[in-house]
Amino acid sequence: MDGLLTGALYALIGMGLALIFGVMRIVNFAHGAFLMLGMYASWVLFDRYQINPYIAFIPAGIFLFAFGYLVYQSLIRPIRSRSDFMQILMTTGISLILVDSVQLKFGADYHQTNIELVNTPLRFGAFTLNAASLLSFAIAGVLIIGLQQFVVRTRTGQALRAIAQNPAVAPLMGINVTRIQGLSFALGIMMAGIAGALLLPALYLFPSVGEDYTLKAFVVVVLGGMGSIEGAAIGGLVLGVTESVTSLYLGNEWALAVDFVLFLLVLSLKPSGIFGRQRA
Amino acid sequence: MKLPVRKFLTFLIPVIACALVPVFVHNDYLMQVFFRIILFAALGLAWNLVGGYAGQLSLGHVAFFGVGAYGLAMFTARGVPVWISIFLAAAAATGFAAVIGLIVFRLRGPYFTLSTIAFAEVLRLGAANLTATGGAIGLSTPALFRPRTFFETHLLSTVQQFYLAAVTLAAVCFVINYATSKSRPGYYLMAIREDEETAAAVGISTAGYKLRALLISAFLTALGGALYGSAFQYIVPDSALSIEISVQMAIITMLGGAGTLLGPVIGAILLLGASEVFKNRFQESHLLIYGILIVVVVLFLPEGIVGGLRHLFRRGMKSKPPSSVAQSPAVAEAKGGN
Amino acid sequence: MAAILELRNVSKRFGGLRAVKDVSLDLSPGEILFIIGPNGAGKTTVFNLISGFLHPDEGSIAFFGKDISRLKPHAIARLGVGRTFQIVKPLPALTVLENVMLGAFMHTAGLPHAQEEAASILDFLQMSHLKDFQARGLPLAALKRLEIARALATRPKLILLDEVVSGLTTSEALALAELIKRLPEWGVSVVGGVEHVMQVVMKISDRVVVLDYGAKIAEGKPADVVKQPEVVEAYLGAKYKELAR
Repeated sequence: MDGLLTGALYALIGMGLALIFGVMRIVNFAHGAFLMLGMYASWVLFDRYQINPYIAFIPAGIFLFAFGYLVYQSLIRPIRSRSDFMQILMTTGISLILVDSVQLKFGADYHQTNIELVNTPLRFGAFTLNAASLLSFAIAGVLIIGLQQFVVRTRTGQALRAIAQNPAVAPLMGINVTRIQGLSFALGIMMAGIAGALLLPALYLFPSVGEDYTLKAFVVVVLGGMGSIEGAAIGGLVLGVTESVTSLYLGNEWALAVDFVLFLLVLSLKPSGIFGRQRA
Repeated sequence: MKLPVRKFLTFLIPVIACALVPVFVHNDYLMQVFFRIILFAALGLAWNLVGGYAGQLSLGHVAFFGVGAYGLAMFTARGVPVWISIFLAAAAATGFAAVIGLIVFRLRGPYFTLSTIAFAEVLRLGAANLTATGGAIGLSTPALFRPRTFFETHLLSTVQQFYLAAVTLAAVCFVINYATSKSRPGYYLMAIREDEETAAAVGISTAGYKLRALLISAFLTALGGALYGSAFQYIVPDSALSIEISVQMAIITMLGGAGTLLGPVIGAILLLGASEVFKNRFQESHLLIYGILIVVVVLFLPEGIVGGLRHLFRRGMKSKPPSSVAQSPAVAEAKGGN
Repeated sequence: MAAILELRNVSKRFGGLRAVKDVSLDLSPGEILFIIGPNGAGKTTVFNLISGFLHPDEGSIAFFGKDISRLKPHAIARLGVGRTFQIVKPLPALTVLENVMLGAFMHTAGLPHAQEEAASILDFLQMSHLKDFQARGLPLAALKRLEIARALATRPKLILLDEVVSGLTTSEALALAELIKRLPEWGVSVVGGVEHVMQVVMKISDRVVVLDYGAKIAEGKPADVVKQPEVVEAYLGAKYKELAR
């Protein structure tokens, strides 16, 4: 059960990256750093203004959206058509800047966010669930479905899929590729930031807290099959469950290692993802 | 291969100059900074074989570095003499590279990079959780050098000796890079970097050459890791297997100029020098300067400092081909239709 | 004389699409054979099958009697099959000479020797004056020649020229055709592929094979094939139908 709850947040993170990497082909190695930024934004709101993280995720998300758009326009757009190599370097650089700027501003100390909800157990027959993680699960669920519907139903979403399928043809159909790319980058960053805000009550906060999540996000996207936003949602749940099973049998400390082994296995055996169709 | 005397001297003189630094510098702090710079120049040169010439952006080289450092500690702990341990550790790293290479070289672009990171991270997490590697507490490493006197009067401190070892390693790495750049394997690696299909079409076994480059690179990187581990006397997963080291190796080389001979050396001097200055100013946030430099390099100097300079010199000489190419006046039109 | 290249009933599928259907063909030493057909007829797939970038689902491909249908591209190149790519693939950061040296390296490890050999091939292709330029930024006509030069430097017995004149002006194409016609002097047989530019095909090929929707629909001397009504009507269009009369 816990696995599914964490998995929903992984799904959120993974869908964000699926938008940026899977759909827009921008290799974002700074995903975890943006998540960390979302955590800090939410923590500042909590620490200074006593705003509950389950509300603070909204302003934090909006802030991350704007910030993501800015980063896209200033740093990603100029190198959009360059090699993966350059994109990886650029986003690694952005990640280092974000992490160390936060460290400079807020210090390397660990922070904990105590809210009552975290310690409130809810009983459902035999199960005991944590009220806070149930709430973040619900919020994540709403956002996941919302994003999926956005991509499938709205005009912008359709434009987005058109670009993903054929970046060369999209402009001919009157789609402003730059605007849509910027938008989906910002949207993806926002998802990471919101996930960060929702993770805040459950984790200690420190500047490099996001590091593992960059790789986890890629694991989720690869599990779900490249370019598939729905796939990423399922991939997130799979990862969450895998981790909790690993924790149960091998211990918590092995969870991340198992993530990576799973990742390497999927990449080398079935590169189209567990749920992806095999491509020629 | 015949080595022209002049080229040999232009290589030898800087090496001797570097080797003579300990004669004049006795300050341990400065020597330590120099040691790190030269060590990372060597690591950058080792990475350059895979990331520069072959164009495979590995961010998992810390795995070999870590196997070097941990191998040294673990072999000596079992009674193997230190100098044999070093080479055993490097051999272990090479064997590990062979296994990794078989898997990661089947992947392309970002997947390649991600899988190299994943391998290194699995190793780090393994080292952090296994008792044989000391877990998160780490292992103490044997000292390769002790202070010693020579000519009765001169004292060579430990740091100075580590520095000299790093100079030796860097020189070896440089010679290997030089030999690569001037030979068929080097051209083959560059062909693989530029276009793997074309490379295969002229009979290059792309998988084979990439793997060979990785093995050599892993061996050299492990030697660097062992040197590092021994110099700091103690290793933990978060130092000897930190992804930061992989990133540093890549950034140093990219900043200086990937696939060039001098790039990694220049990159190491600039980046570690800058980071040393920033360390005193910003303490733990010294990686900020790395981030800023990366962004600047990617935006404005995509071929690194050496690559950028080379372009500057070529300009006006031979950068643009003449407008009439193949006897036909219609060439320009064809270019438009490309 | 025995065929150097034999395709027997070769088929290749991509998902549901059959890109190549039951194609057989032979090539004699020193022959220049052109595969013609409209865009998407399967020409490039045939080249990729011969050079090992793809493997056939059915049928066999033999080169000098040896089955090569399961070999990797580099192994096939080493047996003596050189190729060019439809979308030119120069190694942009290397100079023209270095690009060609890469081919020469197949049979010599020495730099000076490779340079000499590359230079003489560039001379043959009339592009010696370009040898020190980076391949990046060369005009298409030069890049097409560079592709041939690089393949020729491997000393192949067979050279595959995929869409070798596409994108060139007529005069450029004809100039290149003159050079292709001389390739057998180097002990090379040629399989070329073109979409149109019939002038080139008529001028230099000993034989043509017509592909449509992956199947071979005609084969023979160029002058005869273009007169066959099904070829004329379905694949070369009304324009050539008139010409053929």
